[in-house]
Amino acid sequence: MFGFWKTWKALEARGIMGINRRNADYVLKYNKRSLYPIVDDKIITKERAIAAGIHVPQMYGVISTEKEIDNLDKIIGEHNDFVIKPAQGAGGDGILVVADRFEGRFRTVSGKIISREEIQHQISSILTGLYSLGGHRDRALIEYRVIPDQIFKSISYEGVPDIRIIVLMGYPVMAMLRLPTRQSSGKANLHQGAIGVGVDLATGLTLRGTWLNNIINKHPDTTNAVDGVQLPYWDGFMKLAAGCHELCGLGYIGVDMVLDQEKGPLILELNARPGLNIQIANDCGLTLRTHAVEARLEDLKARGVTETVEERVAFVQEMFGHIPTVEG
Amino acid sequence: MRSLTLHLKLLIAILVVLGISVTAYQIFVLGIPVTEDATDDLWNIDAKVEFVASAKDPVKIQMFVPPLSRDFVSLNESFISNNYGVAVNRVDGNRKVTWSARRAKGNQTLYYRLVLTKRYSGEKSKVKGPTFRDSIAVEGPEKIAAEALLAPIRQHSADVETFIGEAIKRVNNLNDDNVKLLLAGDPSTVHKAQIVELLLSIAHVPIEKVHTIRLAADQPQTPELWLRSFNGTDWLYFNPETGEQGLPTDRLLWWTGDENLITVDGGKKANVTFSLNNSEMNAIRLAKLTDENTDANFLGYSLYGLPLQTQQTFMIMVMIPIGVLVILILRNLVGLQTLGTFTPVLIALAFRETQLGFGIVLFTIITALGLSLRSYLEHLKLQMLPRLSVVLTFVVVLIAAISLFSHKLGLERGLSVALFPMVILTMTIERLSITWEERGASHAMKVAIGTLFAASLAHLIMTVPELVYFVFTFPAVLLIMVGFMLAMGRYRGYRLTELVRFKAFLKKADS
Repeated sequence: MFGFWKTWKALEARGIMGINRRNADYVLKYNKRSLYPIVDDKIITKERAIAAGIHVPQMYGVISTEKEIDNLDKIIGEHNDFVIKPAQGAGGDGILVVADRFEGRFRTVSGKIISREEIQHQISSILTGLYSLGGHRDRALIEYRVIPDQIFKSISYEGVPDIRIIVLMGYPVMAMLRLPTRQSSGKANLHQGAIGVGVDLATGLTLRGTWLNNIINKHPDTTNAVDGVQLPYWDGFMKLAAGCHELCGLGYIGVDMVLDQEKGPLILELNARPGLNIQIANDCGLTLRTHAVEARLEDLKARGVTETVEERVAFVQEMFGHIPTVEG
Repeated sequence: MRSLTLHLKLLIAILVVLGISVTAYQIFVLGIPVTEDATDDLWNIDAKVEFVASAKDPVKIQMFVPPLSRDFVSLNESFISNNYGVAVNRVDGNRKVTWSARRAKGNQTLYYRLVLTKRYSGEKSKVKGPTFRDSIAVEGPEKIAAEALLAPIRQHSADVETFIGEAIKRVNNLNDDNVKLLLAGDPSTVHKAQIVELLLSIAHVPIEKVHTIRLAADQPQTPELWLRSFNGTDWLYFNPETGEQGLPTDRLLWWTGDENLITVDGGKKANVTFSLNNSEMNAIRLAKLTDENTDANFLGYSLYGLPLQTQQTFMIMVMIPIGVLVILILRNLVGLQTLGTFTPVLIALAFRETQLGFGIVLFTIITALGLSLRSYLEHLKLQMLPRLSVVLTFVVVLIAAISLFSHKLGLERGLSVALFPMVILTMTIERLSITWEERGASHAMKVAIGTLFAASLAHLIMTVPELVYFVFTFPAVLLIMVGFMLAMGRYRGYRLTELVRFKAFLKKADS
């Protein structure tokens, strides 16, 4: 019991945010329920982003009824690779990534050959709501397959690494690079076995990794070091993430972005309940940073000023950036 | 935000204060027992009246019955008699039953039955009594002997109470010559009581004979004589043999005065025998029984005012918030993962019928078989609703099969499986299989075990009889629980499992 108390105190001193605090102080406080559909439905997010001029993977089409499944060929058209997603899926479930065609069938990104019927069944499952949050009917989204930038080649296994930035009221507070592993079968979700690597907000240099709640420094599949990697277009990512506050109106979000080798930084999706493992990846508690941002907001409010995206990014980079590299 | 916090704190404070004060009112003012074990004695007293009726005359029997004024509450009273008219009337604080018949012959038996208990609670009503009386006239040697006795009694007493006590003691001293003279060779209790009355009357102290029955089971009884006197506010009772003051609590006042218990007109050889036995009864039920006879209607607005069948339903219902609270604590404070939010509570309710161990076994068997069916259906690429329907039907068939099988094997417990909520089982199977596919077998097992653990714990807590009684009797406790739940709604500390989850931070700090 005493040991638990000691752990508790130590975590508190480091500003580690727990689920209860995240829910009570951030998700419930800053995220208005009525705005949830914007982030929960990837199609709405995409439409909003396009309207705001933010880059997203191109949408090939939407299937919302069983009848429309027949339109699949028309939607895919000449594309050889594409992604099918549930519009309201959670945690990367139900996503089908097709990399190529093979003898009238399709080859998924992991090399499995699947028939058209299997794709149709997958879409049908999506429509019945198997992967959606509340289990209600859903729509299937067919979109451009992101081809990750070569920079990630050495530190990821299959799939698409993405960059998650947690944004509080338009201020990015913490960033993480998520690298798929063999265990996560190409998915970039930490609870499925992907690696999270902390990123310095100012420089875009990767810090160290977390894998299944442990601290690691090497990718388990490629054995390349995951720390010290310079992410390109870093300021671009930061501004993209900071701008998502205006896009959806939610105050506490996780912005998932990818770096496409041709199209550059793209926004994949927004998350109204971002996970907490980002703290392990950054070896830093979220609470300290969110409190600093809240203090800043209070200060600005008193002075009656609002900051632009650039100013906000500059503030957080000054405040939280330039972490000295950890030894060992 | 701050005003919201204040609002919440106020709300919690109001709920908790309200809950505590209603409960305290029930416990301390209404005197409702806190545990179910608080039982009260229930006395069943039979007075059997036997006599021989003379053939010619009409028969009229008069017998005293307890007036039941203060310390006891009658639950039921009956006069069992064939062909006799029955009338009850009050005379001078006594109650008398009169049985009458125009014609009766031979041996007659009448019964009087009384079911009573100690008065449950509440104020004692005021009593009245005489405080002065005229002297009984005595002459000659008796007068001298009485006065000779009275002189030392006066000396050795301070007030009416000690005076009476002293008088009784003196009269019981059979070696005293004055006493011998007054008793005139008849040292029976009744006669002694008369002498005491005489002595006290000279001092103008009124005294009354009281005939009591001892509340002791399975003993032959005859009415026991006591004396009592009114001191202005209350009756003081004295043992005529010893002068001890105070009536033991197990004495039931049957009648007062000099008259005999029974008078028979038109009959002879009248005899009354008493038989008593007692049983115990839950205090609440007793209070409910008595409230028809007394003013104890405070239970009228509690859940005990409901019909018995409904009460049993509510006993289960009021425990659901307790189960929910257990889940809340397990999920938000401990960080246990369960399938769905309140699924464990529903499973816990099913455990009520199946018993815990058997319930877990049945649940595991059905879920395991359902999961294998589900994984087979996965190959058929069915849509969700049809697939769920198939699984549900399979679950029903499975339950029927288990019931039949266990019935054939003579395991009656197996029949209780039918009470498992089928839809819950189906959804559990579906969710578990999705978790299995997406998060892997180990995670699915973790969640399944977490669910079973939460359900078992909720079941164990929801079936603690003391707790069921307490919550059912004091439903205001639920308000206190709502206060706690509200507070949990803004709890922002760590969950216990998070302490383990974020251990990586601490290892770092140590090295």
